Amino acid sequence: MITAMDKIASTREGFIAGLLEAAAADPKICLVFADSLKAARATPFTEKYPDRWFDVGICEQNAAAFSAGLASTGLKPFFNTYAGFITMRACEQVRSFAAYPHLNVKFIGLNGGIYGGEREGVTHMVFEDFGIMRSIAGMEIVVPADAGQARKATVAFAQREGPGYMRLGSGREPVIYDDSVPFEFGKARVVREYGTDVAIFAIGPILKRAILAADALAREGIKTTLVEVHTLKPLDVNTITGVLRQTRAAVTLEDHNINGGLGSAVAEVIAEQEPATLIRLGLRDVFAESGDAELLFDHYGMGTPHVCDAVKQLMRRK
Amino acid sequence: MRPEVPLLTAQARQLRRDVFSMIHHCGDGHPGAALSIADLITALYFKVLRVDPKNPEWPARDRFILSKGHACPVYYAALARRDFFPVEWLPTLRKLGSPLQGHPVMKKTPGVDMTTGSLGHGIPIGAGMAAAGRLAKLDYFTYVITGDGELNEGIVWEAAQSAAHMKLGRLIAFVDNNGWQSGGYIKDVSGLQNIAAPFAAFGWHTQEIDGHDFTQILDAIELAQAETERPSLIVAHTIKGKGIPFTENDNSWHKRVPTKAELASALDHLKD
Repeated sequence: MITAMDKIASTREGFIAGLLEAAAADPKICLVFADSLKAARATPFTEKYPDRWFDVGICEQNAAAFSAGLASTGLKPFFNTYAGFITMRACEQVRSFAAYPHLNVKFIGLNGGIYGGEREGVTHMVFEDFGIMRSIAGMEIVVPADAGQARKATVAFAQREGPGYMRLGSGREPVIYDDSVPFEFGKARVVREYGTDVAIFAIGPILKRAILAADALAREGIKTTLVEVHTLKPLDVNTITGVLRQTRAAVTLEDHNINGGLGSAVAEVIAEQEPATLIRLGLRDVFAESGDAELLFDHYGMGTPHVCDAVKQLMRRK
Repeated sequence: MRPEVPLLTAQARQLRRDVFSMIHHCGDGHPGAALSIADLITALYFKVLRVDPKNPEWPARDRFILSKGHACPVYYAALARRDFFPVEWLPTLRKLGSPLQGHPVMKKTPGVDMTTGSLGHGIPIGAGMAAAGRLAKLDYFTYVITGDGELNEGIVWEAAQSAAHMKLGRLIAFVDNNGWQSGGYIKDVSGLQNIAAPFAAFGWHTQEIDGHDFTQILDAIELAQAETERPSLIVAHTIKGKGIPFTENDNSWHKRVPTKAELASALDHLKD
C-alpha cells in the first residue's frame, strides 16, 4: 500500500523539466498542445520559449496532424495532452502522418492508466495505449516510473530519431528512485535481485507496488528478480530472456489492460524464445471506475498482495 | 489573357495524357479526381511553386500537399514533367517496389512534401508547415489542394479554426469543387454547397474561381499571396473528369480503368 508517508512528485513536471534541458541544447524542440498547456504543467517551458509552442485548441487529431506538418520541416514537436486522446482519438494521425513517414514527433500522454484518471472516470483514463502504440511500426514507447525518471527519460527521448510515445501519470506519482539513478533508453533495469524463484516485470509508477511485493516476498523467503521495463518498445529482449532463463516463471504488473501491453509483450518473448509460466496482472479486460488510484489498484487486482499471490501460485506450479 | 496561358494549357494536356496512360497501365486509380485538378496542378508546378527539382529538400521551398491523395497520378505526372524524377517511373504506379505508391508518400517520391491518402489532412498538416516556416523566418508558402467531398471530415474544420486563429497568412488551400464525392453528388450525399461561407466565418480569406481557367487561377493565387494575416481558401469550380469528353461529369470515372480503346480515344482527343 502506498501511504501518505510516501514522497509524491509529478511525472508531468518531470517531463517539462527534462524538455527544458533538452530544448536548451536543441532549438528544434517545440511543444504542441490541444488546450492542454495547464494540464501539462508546461508554463516553465512556454515562458522560457514563447515562440516554441503552439496551441491548436481542443482537437487532438488536428494537433497530431499539425505536429506532423511541423516535423516535416525538421522541427521536433512534442505533442502533450491526455494519453487517451492521443492514442485513441488521434490514432490515425499518429499512425499515418507521424509514424508512417517516420517523422520526429513525440507524443506525450498525460493521465495514463488508473494513475491518471483517478476521480475523473474512465473517459479520462486509458488502459489501451500500450497495445495501440505497440502495434504501430517504428513507434518507440517509454513509461517512466517516477518524476525524476520522467525528466531523464525525456532528455534521452529527445535524442531519438522518429516517432515516440511517452506515457505520464496524473502528477501524484510516488518517488521510487534516488535522483542519482540514470535512465538508459531501451534497457530494462533489474530493481531487485533476491533470487531466481520468479521474475516480476513491471512498467510505470505501479512499479512501486512491485517493489513492495518483492521485498515482502523476500521477507517470507521467496526470492524474486524484479525488472522494470520502462522502454516497452523496442523491448529489451536480451534482459528479459536472461531473467526468464533463470526463473522459468514470471509475473507482469502494469496499469493497463492485460491485453496488448507489457504482459502481452512478455508473453510473446516467452512463446517465441524462452518458455516460462506467466501470470499477467493488470485490468482483466474490464473498465475501471472513478476513485482514488491506490484503492482502484487494490480493487482491480493490481495490489501488492495480488503480486505476492501470483508469485506464490507460480511457485506452486514449479 | 496572360502570356503563359498557352504553354500551361499544353502542359495540362500532357498531364492528362499521362494520367490516363498511367491508370490504364496500372490497372487501378482515380481518373476523375486527377483530371479535375490537372489545371490547378499545372498552374502550381509550372508557374507558381518556388521549388528546385535538383534539391527537393531545399528548406526554403514552397510546400505542396495533395490532400485528396487519390488524385496522385496527376501529381506524379507533374513531378516527373518538372524533372523531379524520370518520366519512365510513371508506368510503375502502384506496382511492387515502385516509388509511386497508390497514394502519395513523402521520402519515397522525390518532391512529395507529405504523405496523404486518408482524407482531410492537407489543411491541418499544411498549417503545421506554415507555422514552422514562420518560426524559422522562411518566406515559403504552403499550398494545399483538398477535395470538396473531403470537407466532410471533421479535422478539416478543426484546422480551419486553428489556422485562422494562428494567422497563418502563408497557407493557401484550394478546394477542388467538382460537386461529386464517391457515392454521388455532394448535394445529395452530404450537403455542403456554399463552401466559402464556413471558412470565411472561421476567418479565412476566400475566393471563388473557375478552376480550369489559368488566368483566374493565377490571379487568385496572387491575391492569396498578398493576404498576410488570414489563411486563404480558393474554391475552384471544376468538372470531374475534365478534358476527356467521355469522362467529364461522369462519376463512374471516380475509380475506373480505361480500356485500350478508351485510352486511344482520350489520347487522340488530348493530342497537341
